[in-house]
Amino acid sequence: MGLLSIIRKIKRKEKEMRILMVGLDNSGKTTIVLKINGEDTSVISPTLGFNIKTITYQKYTLNIWDVGGQKTIRSYWRNYFEQTDGLVWVVDSSDLRRLDDCRYELHNLLKEERLSGASLLIFANKQDIQGALSPDEIAKVLNLEAMDNSRHWRIVGCSAYTGEGLLEGFDWLVQDVASRIYMLD
Amino acid sequence: MEEDDHLPKPASAAAEDAASSEDLDSALQRKRAAMIERLSNLHQSRLARKPDSESNSTSSFLSRFSDSKSSIESTLSRIRQTADPHSNPTLKSELDNVSMSIADLEKLVAENTFSLPSYEVRTCLKTITDLKQIVEQVTCEVIPRKKFSFKNKSAKKITTQNDIVSEVPIRVENNTANVESENSGFRALDSPGFRGKENEVLVKEFNRGNDEEIREFVLSDLRGCDVRLMGCVRALFVHKLIDCKVYVGPVFGSVLIEEVTNCVFVLASHQIRIHQAKGCDFYLRARSRPIIEDSNGVRFAPYCLKYDGIEKDLEEANLGEETGNWSNVDDFKWLRAVQSPNWSILPENERLDTVDISNRDPKI
Repeated sequence: MGLLSIIRKIKRKEKEMRILMVGLDNSGKTTIVLKINGEDTSVISPTLGFNIKTITYQKYTLNIWDVGGQKTIRSYWRNYFEQTDGLVWVVDSSDLRRLDDCRYELHNLLKEERLSGASLLIFANKQDIQGALSPDEIAKVLNLEAMDNSRHWRIVGCSAYTGEGLLEGFDWLVQDVASRIYMLD
Repeated sequence: MEEDDHLPKPASAAAEDAASSEDLDSALQRKRAAMIERLSNLHQSRLARKPDSESNSTSSFLSRFSDSKSSIESTLSRIRQTADPHSNPTLKSELDNVSMSIADLEKLVAENTFSLPSYEVRTCLKTITDLKQIVEQVTCEVIPRKKFSFKNKSAKKITTQNDIVSEVPIRVENNTANVESENSGFRALDSPGFRGKENEVLVKEFNRGNDEEIREFVLSDLRGCDVRLMGCVRALFVHKLIDCKVYVGPVFGSVLIEEVTNCVFVLASHQIRIHQAKGCDFYLRARSRPIIEDSNGVRFAPYCLKYDGIEKDLEEANLGEETGNWSNVDDFKWLRAVQSPNWSILPENERLDTVDISNRDPKI
């Protein structure tokens, strides 16, 4: 193997990012991943376990880990924390009753040291539903201002159903991660 | 050269050949010596240059680093000594500036990791972590976190003020734990729905073709009720139902059911999640596999609802055809190959006949 091909290989590896998608059940994590990958979203069963998708996005390769959000399997989230560059927290903006649960789980997650360096994107999903709270309202309810101020975070309203806002969110996440870990390029 | 020897040659050329090969050998040796010399020169010069330039850049970096570190520290101690935090509105922006300069410092270290000895990298990173911790501490001491509250609750604002004062010392010691306990009073349940009813017949017809009606709907805290929802709805949330019968037209998003006991549900939806259900029967049509969690004694059967125009509604919601998924139930509390003891298929002789809810007869 020539030196050049080794260098190319390392370079390619460098451009990889590991993205972890979490959030309560029924928030739309799998739908977001499939939608952004241009796949059919009409038949999606609640995730039992996890899905991995590798997506080429701009000049980066995203390894997206979409982990099921049912209560029983939330305790397994921590198995996926290692080497996460970008964290995506998905919120069902129309599920007002469970926003307390949502905030609790999010802040619990952010205490995790292995995620302390990860950029955080919050998707206020289901904006297409009439009664959904706006991203600003979600930010207040989730008490996002109280986060450690070294954390890079952003909240973006989206609809996995129509696809609106998904690219905006991922653009920010990928740029933020890239500027942090590939700034020597 | 060996090959040359094997070649047939004229005798006169042989002597010449031997002489030229000697010439060649010595030329090669000279060349090699020159190359070695060149290489060692290069090496020497590199050795001579390297430590010098490296230490130069290292020391200049370290001085830059310690300069900004001490400026950050002095700003922080000044902020900390400010007697009354409430009197100084610029405090927050000052703290933000400090965090920004720490971020710059971090960037500086990252840019120089190539040229720095690894020990320096480690100490610098440690310093940065320490600085961040101090900022965090100072922020907690100086700026109490705002409590989230809705504006229309003016009475609550007064208590919020008091809370801030009393909570400051607690936060300093244990600021992360407080994040969750805050805001637990959030109540803004303004989604349309039926709530807190007993022994009633609750009927709702979603206007077809009117976008405004296609949204989420909530059923919560019902006892002994008979609920009939006709037309398409985007999402359905069901919470705390006892002894109810619930008949629902197509839901073209998801249905989330929690804490239901002794109920009958007739539902068609893209996704169905059932939590904490006890002794309930579900007549389902679903595009995907329904799931249960923390449930027991639940039974499943195919969808059996009828009202005027239901075929068109089902078609519109992509639920026109039976998928057979009503029996493909995943139990998150039973991740084994054998059938979960928590659910079963409702025997055919115990199933309801087709339920027609188009006549508003209170008794079905």
